Amino acid sequence: MTPQIAIRLNTLALYSISAILIVAFYWQMAHDELPCPLCLLQRVAFTALGVGPVLTLRHGPRPAHYGLVIIAALMGAAIAARQILLHIMPGDAGYGSAFFGLHLYTWAFLCFVAAILASATMLTFDKQFAPEVKAPARGKFEDVAIWLIIGVTALNAASALLECGFSGCPANPVRYELLN
Amino acid sequence: MEFFIAFFNFALAMWLAWRHEAPSAIYVFFAGLVFTAALYLRHATDALPLSF
Repeated sequence: MTPQIAIRLNTLALYSISAILIVAFYWQMAHDELPCPLCLLQRVAFTALGVGPVLTLRHGPRPAHYGLVIIAALMGAAIAARQILLHIMPGDAGYGSAFFGLHLYTWAFLCFVAAILASATMLTFDKQFAPEVKAPARGKFEDVAIWLIIGVTALNAASALLECGFSGCPANPVRYELLN
Repeated sequence: MEFFIAFFNFALAMWLAWRHEAPSAIYVFFAGLVFTAALYLRHATDALPLSF
């Protein structure tokens, strides 16, 4: 795999992470379902997933960048698994409404596992890490991906501030604290 | 506020990466990871109202 292909795949990963966060944000607005603290932590883990690909786009492919993705994905998967286990009892309707048959935290768990698999697979392609290869040039496609993920993260930060206010976030939020 | 800080932390890490400050971005990333783990430990035992 050439560095250019690795860059392109990392760019697609950034767009995917942004898409996941945008869908979660749309779900919050359209269904008026405020994310619980564990849900917010999963969103935080998704934004953490973006740091590795951004580093790759700016500095070229490095094994350490994929390591950051795996660490962030492990943390996100642990948080999502905790929430799945909270609602595993038969008869429990779960938190929030279902999206294509699964709750958002179940989708999140699957996405984090997919991120671990994808990063581990990328690590097996050695040629992208050749030391004599400079960071390939970026284009508009890559720049938009970086600013989109930073923008979506900032949007989530603002939403979390509106929801939780300046104190600790309630366990079962029912209103935007700063709007009341 | 705590989640605002967590999101801001990773936005800052990405911005630092964009500014070609890779070591700083990685330090901020790990600081955010520790903060998020602390948030998780704080909220992992939240009492959730059961829906059945």
